[in-house]
Amino acid sequence: MILVIRPDATDAQIAHVIERIEELGFRPHVSRGTERTIIGVIGDERKPQVEAFAAIPGVEQVHHILKPFKLASREFRKPDSVVKVGKVRVGGGHLAMIAGPCAVESADGLDRIASHVKAAGANILRGGAFKPRTSPYAFQGMGEEGLRILRDVGDKYDMPVVTEVMDPRQVALVERWADMFQIGARNMQNFDLLKEVGQARKPVLLKRGMSATVKDLLMSAEYVLAGGNPHVVLCERGVRTFEDSTRNMLDMSAVPNVKGQSHLPIIVDPSHATGRPDLIPSMAKASVAAGADGVHVEVHDCPEKALSDGPQALLPEQFARLMTEVRKLVAAVGATVD
Amino acid sequence: MILVLRTDATRPQIDHVIERVTELGFEPRVITGEFRTIVALIGDDNAPGVEKLEAIPGVENVHRILKPFKLASREFHKPDTVVQVGQVKIGAGHLAMIAGPCAVESAGGLDRIASHVKKAGANILRGGAFKPRTSPYAFQGMGEDGLKILRDVGDKHGMPVVTEVMDTRQVPLVQKWADMFQIGARNMQNFDLLKEVGQARKPVLLKRGMSATVKDLLMSAEYVLAEGNPDVVLCERGVRGFEDSTRNTLDLSAVPNVKGQSHLPIIVDPSHATGRPDLIPSMAMAAVAAKADGVHIEVHDCPEKALSDGPQALLPDQYASLMADLRKLAEVLGRAIDR
Repeated sequence: MILVIRPDATDAQIAHVIERIEELGFRPHVSRGTERTIIGVIGDERKPQVEAFAAIPGVEQVHHILKPFKLASREFRKPDSVVKVGKVRVGGGHLAMIAGPCAVESADGLDRIASHVKAAGANILRGGAFKPRTSPYAFQGMGEEGLRILRDVGDKYDMPVVTEVMDPRQVALVERWADMFQIGARNMQNFDLLKEVGQARKPVLLKRGMSATVKDLLMSAEYVLAGGNPHVVLCERGVRTFEDSTRNMLDMSAVPNVKGQSHLPIIVDPSHATGRPDLIPSMAKASVAAGADGVHVEVHDCPEKALSDGPQALLPEQFARLMTEVRKLVAAVGATVD
Repeated sequence: MILVLRTDATRPQIDHVIERVTELGFEPRVITGEFRTIVALIGDDNAPGVEKLEAIPGVENVHRILKPFKLASREFHKPDTVVQVGQVKIGAGHLAMIAGPCAVESAGGLDRIASHVKKAGANILRGGAFKPRTSPYAFQGMGEDGLKILRDVGDKHGMPVVTEVMDTRQVPLVQKWADMFQIGARNMQNFDLLKEVGQARKPVLLKRGMSATVKDLLMSAEYVLAEGNPDVVLCERGVRGFEDSTRNTLDLSAVPNVKGQSHLPIIVDPSHATGRPDLIPSMAMAAVAAKADGVHIEVHDCPEKALSDGPQALLPDQYASLMADLRKLAEVLGRAIDR
């Protein structure tokens, strides 16, 4: 860690800074420049007390050198992690093709959509049973009944299933019926929920919060890993900006950005990122070209009747066409789809 | 256009709205709902005076139906436009591979970099002679000397050249030496500059402003087109977001977003968008997969000595390996890179 001292700091203040550093078990290394003094702080800066350094009188800035996450970092684990969802591998060159409706609406409806996406080449089925909707008056999901339908339909088509868990109290229930937990963007920093799925044994799909930096996302993954669950897949799903013609702004550079710092797989959700079926296929293909470990696409056979997020769903034939094009790219980048 | 009236709009206010819109030449259709009255206006959304409709008492908001740009729109011109820069075509399946240093620094330096990027497969050479730098103390570019060097080196390696024009007074000079004007992100809404290059006869590379929406970008293109210059290539180069680990946030969805609404080619600049050499290759690949009409990449053979933007430049061998990957990808996607 490096402390930059204010230009007007007195010798007494600097002496006090050094005293505090030593008190906390660090070794100070003082460099006096022509205009500024800086102090190198030697030791493991992940101690809880280091945040207080910025509060010492005379300290202008604190620069961290070590990454604040450890288990999620490439330094901790060099090779790409491969997360298994049922029989499907995600990461290390194996792509997740997650597809399905935004919400489970009925057994028949999900069965029809699943048969389409399975035929097109999807390898994991999605469907929400607990829905975090902006409006309290909007459809909130079918709850446990939705989970059972998702399990039955997944088994029928031999696809593992992923579904969102919104509350720590739902973790046991979702773990019983699903193959993978989804933590939604709105819950990326619901730390108690992260700790709870960290103690579960099923893998976790962790979506990036809509105003979270890449570092914030990795810190949330660290919560799950620190709880003892090593099976985390990250998901870039767009962030909030001023652009008003798309639902969010897909931050595609998050893919190589994460991969440089972390061994965890990262997939892309172009459905939520753009909110527009006309933009989803290009962004799905771009994700694969950017090195993402998969894509997550919402599909509905009658978007105008969907109980949630209909306008951003692809039709089954649009999804099938997209999958044909994605397969060509997958071959070109040397990846595989289980 | 649709006017949504306030819930508390009075009858005389509604009558006044109808009177005003009729005066402006629109045919009003009033729809009285349970809670609200809305007025649909039949006529040209882009007629002068329509912005003022929002100011009429009783009007809550105004929704435009027509796009505010015309010459740039797909409705106006269905097929993809192909812009020719020297011998190189951009658009409709032809990819621009623009590469070179951020700034022209010396004849010898540019010549070395140009020979590397040409060999790697770049088809347009870039290099700034007028540099818009955040700090007034930073290197501001070589000016006309830089333009001459750029022209000479481009000719030597058989590459057309693109360079930034920052000021209306520089337009004739840049037109004399370069094959394409670049309008930088900071000047995307310098309307006098847009009008000036609109009257020139060389193509324009128009970069998206760092807080401009896709619609704003297309409106700026409309300025150039409206003055009579049809050769505009758009460039997505990242916008400002809260993410602090990259220079900007690359809005890759701007590519299909523009293509749905406009016939103009759009390329991507992953160098400025990310500011990080470790992220540039993946984003260049993603851009081509997203159907961008090319990529714009800064290359320097000694980034640590570059006079501007060194940290975001690729080394010549990094660029060559990226180009090899891009060529494979372009082939899978059925796109061509002119030499």
